[in-house]
Amino acid sequence: MSLSPYLPIVGLFALAFAFALFSVAIAPLIGPRRYNKAKLEAYECGIEPTPQPVGGGRFPIKFYLTAMLFIVFDIEIIFLYPWAVAYDALGLFGFVEMVLFIGAVFIAYAYVWKRGGLDWD
Amino acid sequence: MAAEVLARSLAEPAVLAADVKLPDIDYLAIAPMLVLFGAACVGVLAAAFVPQRLRYRVQVSLVIGALLVALGLIVTVARAGRAVATAGGAIAIDGPALFLQGSVAVLGVVAVLLIAERSLERGGAFVSRASLTPGSAADRDQAEQPGATEVYPLVSFALAGMMLFVSANDLLTLFVALEVFSLPLYLLCGLARRRRLLSQESAVKYFLLGAFSSAFFLYGVALLYGFAGATGLGALRKAVQAGDGNTTLLFLGLAMLAVGLLFKVAAVPFHVWTPDVYQGAPTPITALMAACTKVAAFGALLRVFTVAFPVGAVDWRPVLVAIAIATMLVGAVLAVTQTDIKRLLAYSSIANAGYVLTGVLALSAAGVAGSLFYLVAYGFVVLAAFGVVTLVRDADGEATHLSRWAGLGRRSPLVAGVFTFLMMAFAGIPLTSGFTSKFAVFSAALGSGQVTLVVVGVLSSAVLAFPYLRVVVLMYLSEPAEDTPTVSLPGTLTAAALAIGVLATALLGVAPAPVLDLAAKAVQFVS
Amino acid sequence: MIDVWWLLILKVVGIFAFLVLVTLFTIWFERRVVGRMQHRPGPNRVGPFGLLQSLADGLKLAFKEDILPRGVDRWVFVLAPVISTTAAFTGFAVIPFGPEVSIFGEQTSLQLAEVPVGVLVVLAASAMGVYGVVLAGWSSGSTYPLLGGMRSAAQMISYEIGMGLSIVAVFMAASTLSTREIVAAQADGTPYQLLGMDVQLPSWYVLLLFPSFLIFMISIVGETNRAPFDLAEAESELVGGFHTEYSSLKFALFFLAEYVAMVVMSGLAVTMFLGGWHAPWPLSLWGEANTGWWPFLWFTLKVMGFLFMFVWLRGTLPRLRYDQFMHLGWKVLVPASLVWIIAISGIRSAARDEGDRALWLTVLGLVFIAALLGYLWPRRRPVPPATADSGAGGFPVPPLDLVVPPNPRAKRLAATRAGTGPASGSGEGADDEKEV
Repeated sequence: MSLSPYLPIVGLFALAFAFALFSVAIAPLIGPRRYNKAKLEAYECGIEPTPQPVGGGRFPIKFYLTAMLFIVFDIEIIFLYPWAVAYDALGLFGFVEMVLFIGAVFIAYAYVWKRGGLDWD
Repeated sequence: MAAEVLARSLAEPAVLAADVKLPDIDYLAIAPMLVLFGAACVGVLAAAFVPQRLRYRVQVSLVIGALLVALGLIVTVARAGRAVATAGGAIAIDGPALFLQGSVAVLGVVAVLLIAERSLERGGAFVSRASLTPGSAADRDQAEQPGATEVYPLVSFALAGMMLFVSANDLLTLFVALEVFSLPLYLLCGLARRRRLLSQESAVKYFLLGAFSSAFFLYGVALLYGFAGATGLGALRKAVQAGDGNTTLLFLGLAMLAVGLLFKVAAVPFHVWTPDVYQGAPTPITALMAACTKVAAFGALLRVFTVAFPVGAVDWRPVLVAIAIATMLVGAVLAVTQTDIKRLLAYSSIANAGYVLTGVLALSAAGVAGSLFYLVAYGFVVLAAFGVVTLVRDADGEATHLSRWAGLGRRSPLVAGVFTFLMMAFAGIPLTSGFTSKFAVFSAALGSGQVTLVVVGVLSSAVLAFPYLRVVVLMYLSEPAEDTPTVSLPGTLTAAALAIGVLATALLGVAPAPVLDLAAKAVQFVS
Repeated sequence: MIDVWWLLILKVVGIFAFLVLVTLFTIWFERRVVGRMQHRPGPNRVGPFGLLQSLADGLKLAFKEDILPRGVDRWVFVLAPVISTTAAFTGFAVIPFGPEVSIFGEQTSLQLAEVPVGVLVVLAASAMGVYGVVLAGWSSGSTYPLLGGMRSAAQMISYEIGMGLSIVAVFMAASTLSTREIVAAQADGTPYQLLGMDVQLPSWYVLLLFPSFLIFMISIVGETNRAPFDLAEAESELVGGFHTEYSSLKFALFFLAEYVAMVVMSGLAVTMFLGGWHAPWPLSLWGEANTGWWPFLWFTLKVMGFLFMFVWLRGTLPRLRYDQFMHLGWKVLVPASLVWIIAISGIRSAARDEGDRALWLTVLGLVFIAALLGYLWPRRRPVPPATADSGAGGFPVPPLDLVVPPNPRAKRLAATRAGTGPASGSGEGADDEKEV
């Protein structure tokens, strides 16, 4: 398979990248620069900002859980696409296998749901 | 130029393949695995939907029932004399596969008996939430709560994965099986009720090193695919025998594949995780790993090396001989210096991996049969030994330091007697299964002219007898100290597991013929 | 098909210009429409009808100070808007916006790149956009942006699931992942015999696969962080969300990326469900409608329709709470998509003369999942009856006959002033402490 059909995508990518890079590069040059200590503080509604360790502070572990669930379902989707495209060629066998696959993922999903993995409060 | 590119892009085939060849699946042959996987899925649902008070009973009966049904199916398939490569050649159900699957199922039942024990400790040997910081208030609270019932579906997944591992006839299936049985084990290691920090540490160590070894394994698969253009073991064999591919890819790929497999069997120098993980994991899980994982890993090792890489075409023997010698020596010598019973058993399991490797390296039907027999015999002994370890307890849980075992023989002669018997089996004293199994692998190796291996094996066995006998001496000849731990009365489940283990050890020592015959009949691989 | 190099460059620049212009237009359009919905004129000073307002705003932003707060991770902070913008633009490369036309004598199709996995390219590009948002939040070294970035990342990946699942039915119907072929598959309706008459079945997937379309629509609103799902920059909770610390052109880039992503997603929706550049029904009776440059107009109009819908949603719906939002994504869209996929594949199997077995399997699968869902569905908890303390509707309302207790300090003050002994005073003090 030749990669050449993908080249134009790289073209658009490159143009957008160059434009964005140019913008962030030019911004400090054409804007004014007036020093003000308070302006350089992290914004926190006017109160003394919470000290942040470099690389971000703590955030709820739920986000990790969401990320892991996302990976599970994203992989399911990636399996579903080729199956859907080839669906007419696969026949009943393809249907049965995919019902089993979706069922297996659904079991994990039901477990996470029932155990409160999808609740935010 | 544009026209040329145009023509090329037009000639490209569409994504949709015109004809899709559907694989044939022999459902009876893979039914044992399907039953266990199905039970695991049902177990996940049960963990979510069954009311809390019923969960434990439902889960335990589910996993034990599934294992027994799977065992029955394995016997049925074996009786039918099937030897097929099914599911598009990805799974081979043949003599060794059935023997090993049966061993995993039987040893799995015994291990589940140990895991399900809840009378020794309130709520069992597991906690419900392993993620809590050890020592925090929430963590102290959960010490009083019943343990997680997710343990049982996890164990089912692990055992089903092991069954798939020993019958995988394709490197990718092998990898999937490897992950399916490894991931639950990583989790289970971190669930110990006592000594939470050690348990978490062991889980993280096992996971990180396991992930590295999986990466090695996968990289090896990729290189071998580059060499042969296929991942099936049969196709690999053809490519290896034709010998016209890029041999650099072959050697590198084979080496990396071997690293992945040898990590799982805990051969030197890929053994460093073993003592820490065996010590930190909940003892029933250690028993499961020592018995079943070893069976599965050696099963896959045997299949990959015999089916895909015939020695005539690629001679990997010198490397494996060196590894086997190192494994026996390191395991035996380091076992001598241990002061913790779980670490001692861990090093002994490393040395035993070396003995099984001796059988593998015999490269004969007798060698395969000897290895199969060794794995079963060792599995029973090690399960029973860890079962005894769960019984010797004090206020802080299990008392695993050897000094605490001093004088145990005076206080609890029965448990000490059982443990002495098991230690003798480990040491290979006649009339125990340890003797017959060692005899089987060493005689097979001698028959194939591996004299060095046998000499090292016998010598290291002699060295290894010392730490075993030291425990026995400690138990009987030392005065019981004030703080000698009490031996808990085993619950029904542990008692059953111990009885099965000890009986099997004795039977395989006195009358090993039926199992030896079974193993001798089950040596023919298909591909 | 690959064009000559100058045509490629022309198309790349053309698409870029189109997206920027549509963005400028959409910002003005949004403000005008929302203004009309709120009974006010909206921007109407700069240029005719205020059309140049966004351009003026953009230029003004360029001449604002570019602030690099202390505590930011400099490189990542600068790179994040670049990633966001680049990812947003890239997706449009595979969207076909017209048939073959002739430009300066060269025959070419109005689509930058025709690749066999076109839709995956759009999905990949939009997934890359998450990096821009989460890195912006992470590198700001500030609390609100961090939370906004995490929220936004969780939100975008959650709705990506719904979106990815909803278009499976389209792939099944079109048997391809290529955008051009999906458009082609919607060109003509299937002829169908009904009561002896030839009827053209509708060809657009919005009619054939309406549930997919509905889920897709909801998902792209979540995926683009637009109201009512704009929790990443929920002003009342997180100030500006992930771009709180950004100013000047860097902020403008995030703004641009958001609107370009809207346009790309609308374009994808048009391609997948609304027949792409094909003329809608009454127009399609005109023979010339699907030739030449006309389809570009239809495509643009359809995209505009979607953009209007985005604006309309923003003007109409209040912002969701975060837990409601995740609930909708994970507990409604995902299972609904899965059920719909099983249903439609079962129906297709059954329709292909594989008879009752497929039908029964479908029914069984649906019943199984429906039973699970029915079990999982949260029961509505009865609202506890209102008591004196918890007032009307569960809100804490003080009882109407509340007797305000006297201020203890006032009592003590009065006591000292009256010169009574310390004994009684201390006794009262003890009582007060008990009440506290």
